[in-house]
Amino acid sequence: MTSPSPVLYDYILSPSCYKARLMAALAGVRLALRPVDFHPGVEHRGPELLALNPAGSIPILVAPDADGDLILTESAAILVYLASKAAPAFLGSGKPAESARIQQWLAFSARLTASLGGARLHEMLHRPGDLAGLRASGIAALRELEAALFEQRLKGEAFLVGNRPTVADIACFPYVALAPDGGVSLDAYPSIRLWMRAVRALEGFIEMPGIHRLHELKPDPHEAPATAEA
Amino acid sequence: MMPLESALVWTPVALSADLPAASVIPARLADAALAVWRAQDGTVSAVADRCPHRGMRLSHGFVRGEALSCIYHGWRYGKSGRCLAIPAHPALTPPETIRVATYRAAERDGIVWVTASQEAGAVPAHDGFLGLRSVTVAASPARLAASLGGTLDGSVIDGTIGGVTARLLLASSGEEGVLLVHLLIASGAADAGKIAASRALEGLRRQAETATITGEAA
Ligand SMILES: N[C@H](CCC(=O)N[C@@H](CS)C(=O)NCC(=O)O)C(=O)O
Ligand code: FES
Repeated sequence: MTSPSPVLYDYILSPSCYKARLMAALAGVRLALRPVDFHPGVEHRGPELLALNPAGSIPILVAPDADGDLILTESAAILVYLASKAAPAFLGSGKPAESARIQQWLAFSARLTASLGGARLHEMLHRPGDLAGLRASGIAALRELEAALFEQRLKGEAFLVGNRPTVADIACFPYVALAPDGGVSLDAYPSIRLWMRAVRALEGFIEMPGIHRLHELKPDPHEAPATAEA
Repeated sequence: MMPLESALVWTPVALSADLPAASVIPARLADAALAVWRAQDGTVSAVADRCPHRGMRLSHGFVRGEALSCIYHGWRYGKSGRCLAIPAHPALTPPETIRVATYRAAERDGIVWVTASQEAGAVPAHDGFLGLRSVTVAASPARLAASLGGTLDGSVIDGTIGGVTARLLLASSGEEGVLLVHLLIASGAADAGKIAASRALEGLRRQAETATITGEAA
């Protein structure tokens, strides 16, 4: 018997919701998407959604589970749930250090949400906030990520924990990729750029507005005739 | 202060290792924004970071084979800068006049160099060194040299970082008051030395930037 699909309370422009959609796509899990009128409707602060998540944020995942409905309101937990269900390789090998490093990055991803995500909300939806401060903490987080990814490259590893993607990469990728929306340039981070290429090249990768699959992997729609250059 | 670079000499814009085959990255040459790309065959080219069609940044584009494509409408440019194909008009051979401004690009010691000059001579040599990391630092060259305890000569700082012999090549990041810094270390260094140097670079940046904010004398 197949159980009904988990329901994702979703907003297309939300990087946090995209984490859940991306993980589900990579894991081959079908989600039932329940669109939320985040803007301008502020539906996430209405009674129906507050009953599910008093914190008033999305994503919210409602998954039918053995003991009744499981309600998850933190994207990191949603990623872990989807991976455990359908793609355990995204949880790493289970070695203590590896599991701990994944947890470290899941917690770190909340800093990206607060800083780069905060700057983005400010720029896109005119949320009040200390823009300079949000950008500065975003840059501090990007520098940490860049240094860590550089050391990964020295080990010959393309992802945050090991040479294959884990929930750590999925948790960190969206707000980093969309940093320019908040006025934070990604030009100065070569190792982050290579890592984003690796994520965008993953089998089963899906896009969101502003984040694209590695273009060169798409079929060439206009195979140019052999052109001799002047 | 001496300008870090003029368009007349070779400027270090990136590390070779940060530009894999069939990819494009943004870079900076004095006041100009560049797209630096590596073709599938390994050749590095540098062009103005502005598509002649509608001005989209070409560094947001992509490389297929031996051509750089713009992400916006797919206009495709060859190594000479000439437009090779326009997807909306597949039958058309684009006129010769459609081209993106090119710069001379070269590689040496694991560094990608660019110049706007046809006269610039040999690419600078840093024998015995290899590019490790590129970072931006919000500090002046003098402040950075002082924080390292190294010697500043033009746009080069020599010293030791994380116990490893190091050389910093300075260039402009395009942002006022922010340097682009390429860390070179002895080319024979082992991974442990590379990690030590990379971590020490983070510390050096913190120190130089903090000193800049607190206004310590350089
Ligand atoms: N609960 C955290 C935070 C998610 C988050 O920040 N979501 C944003 C949308 S991208 C949100 O709902 N913000 C509430 C608001 O801005 O009113 C997570 O799941 O990672
Ligand atoms: S702007 Fe580059 S192809 Fe249109």
